[in-house]
Amino acid sequence: MNNNKFVGKVGVGEILTYVVLILVLVFTVMPLLFMVTAAFMDAKQIMAMPYSWIPSKEYFTTESRTFFTNFQKAIVGNHNDHIFFRNLWNSLIVAFTCALTTVLLASLCGYGLAKFNFKGKTVVFMAIMSTMMIPFEAIMIPLYLVASKLKIINTIPGLIIPFLVSAFGVFQMRQYLITFPSEYLDAARVDGLTEFGIYARIVLPNSTPVIATLGILSFRNQWDNLLWPLLCSQAEKMKTIPLYISKFAEEKQTDEGALMACALLASIPMFILFFSLSKYFLGGAAVYESRKG
Amino acid sequence: MKKKLTPYSIEKKQVRWGFLFTVPCLVFFAVFSFYPIISAFLTSLTNRDAIRRTYDFIGFQNYTYLFTQSNGGFSLLNSLKATAIFTVGTFVPMVVVSLILAVLIMQLRKPGHSKMFELAYYTPAVLSSVVAATIWMILFQPTGLFNQISNFVMHTSGKDYQWLTNNSMLRASTIIVYFWKYIGYFTILFITGLASIPPTIYEAAIVDGSSRWHTFWKITLPLLKPTVVLVSIMAMLQCLKTFSTQYMFVQGGTAREPIDVITMNIYYTGVVNRRLGRSSAMSIILFLIMLCFTYLQFSTQKGGDDVEY
Repeated sequence: MNNNKFVGKVGVGEILTYVVLILVLVFTVMPLLFMVTAAFMDAKQIMAMPYSWIPSKEYFTTESRTFFTNFQKAIVGNHNDHIFFRNLWNSLIVAFTCALTTVLLASLCGYGLAKFNFKGKTVVFMAIMSTMMIPFEAIMIPLYLVASKLKIINTIPGLIIPFLVSAFGVFQMRQYLITFPSEYLDAARVDGLTEFGIYARIVLPNSTPVIATLGILSFRNQWDNLLWPLLCSQAEKMKTIPLYISKFAEEKQTDEGALMACALLASIPMFILFFSLSKYFLGGAAVYESRKG
Repeated sequence: MKKKLTPYSIEKKQVRWGFLFTVPCLVFFAVFSFYPIISAFLTSLTNRDAIRRTYDFIGFQNYTYLFTQSNGGFSLLNSLKATAIFTVGTFVPMVVVSLILAVLIMQLRKPGHSKMFELAYYTPAVLSSVVAATIWMILFQPTGLFNQISNFVMHTSGKDYQWLTNNSMLRASTIIVYFWKYIGYFTILFITGLASIPPTIYEAAIVDGSSRWHTFWKITLPLLKPTVVLVSIMAMLQCLKTFSTQYMFVQGGTAREPIDVITMNIYYTGVVNRRLGRSSAMSIILFLIMLCFTYLQFSTQKGGDDVEY
């Protein structure tokens, strides 16, 4: 905005800094607060001008029970088939499995690339890195054809398999393990550990920070994935939460309260994860940055 | 970077293990990355669609079609335009604002306060894009909250800014949603970059009598340049691939044409209209665009390594 932030007297500069930061804070938090409050209102109050921020008391009385009906509608779904929790479960399973396999496969591959000198290592590394340039959006249709050949359309494995591991994960693990002291590995070899034993007992336990950030990143990506489930899960039962919300939003366009209740419910698992592991969420950037070193 | 391994008598055995460790990933990427992109390219040379069983090789006709025909009202050129507007409109403000925010947060003296701002800015990033788009669709309604705020800020009264009905405003709306969701994420990236600059450099600058403004332009920014370049290209690549926000908006009933980004056109042409050949050609074009930018990333990164503290 202007130079004062940096040159002005400490007092003025500091106040200005806070003013700017708080304005942005209002911008980022306002829609979240809106979601939480609107989840307890009916459409009429949500669309009233000006927006009231506090759900009116009558919604909490036993007669109207708007706060309850919103969430009830969100769970019951479009076709009264109560698939919300089933879809939530699908999302959790898919995201969790992908996080787990990404961590395992990426660390295994990253370890192989970081600490062994085999023929064609550079070629292997470059080949894996080059897949980072292939956007998923460009290969979704061939992938769909592969998946239908493997008969995994409309199944949980079908949602998981294309995301078992990511090139970015391999890259991160390799960068991290390159700086891992080789002396430890040698000492373990002298002590008679097998190569796989070294990976499982020395390398894995010593990479917890990068594993945590990588796992969280992968979990979040799958939790957020809309495009692949859109192709892969046609059966209602097999849908994931983003798809559920998308269909729900299509049908309940004018029922904003129920829509926000649905959005809120669907965000709760991620909020719990975020606020309990915020260190790793915010540290994700740190690991990402370390690639430079 | 590469470290030479000390030779062992059992080196050969170890080497085999090292290769074995990479095999699962190699197989995975061969089946789920290389095969599909090659298959997409081959399909793009045919007139394949999802209904007929047979299809013919038609050379580059799909490509010429895409660049000259309208593709049922939603042409590739329009998609390229929509994608370009979205990408530039999102990543430029995002990089600038998140850099400013990161610098400001680093200035705070109370670690508790910086932590609070970091958390609050980052929270939208943990929501799924679908949820983000759903919230903002409601905020952008004619009588919605965002119109009320815009009226308050712009000192107008009761004006409808047509966030979802006016074509340019619709584009702006998708940009706002994306900006809101990712601003915290990029701020954190810059904070990490800033934190890696050793404080001794700043101390030296203060001793030399450099003002804070001067310090920012002459010390912080040049040292942060590799991070800025890296984050910009990363943001750009991410914006090129945007899908969920636009998809949700269109499902919610907005016009498709102004926000028909290339990924959405691929989706509609391939999945909804079942023209696999044509949509594969679009996929390859998107791939080539990404390839150019990734090449840019790698080439600038090499230059970036020169910065030493």
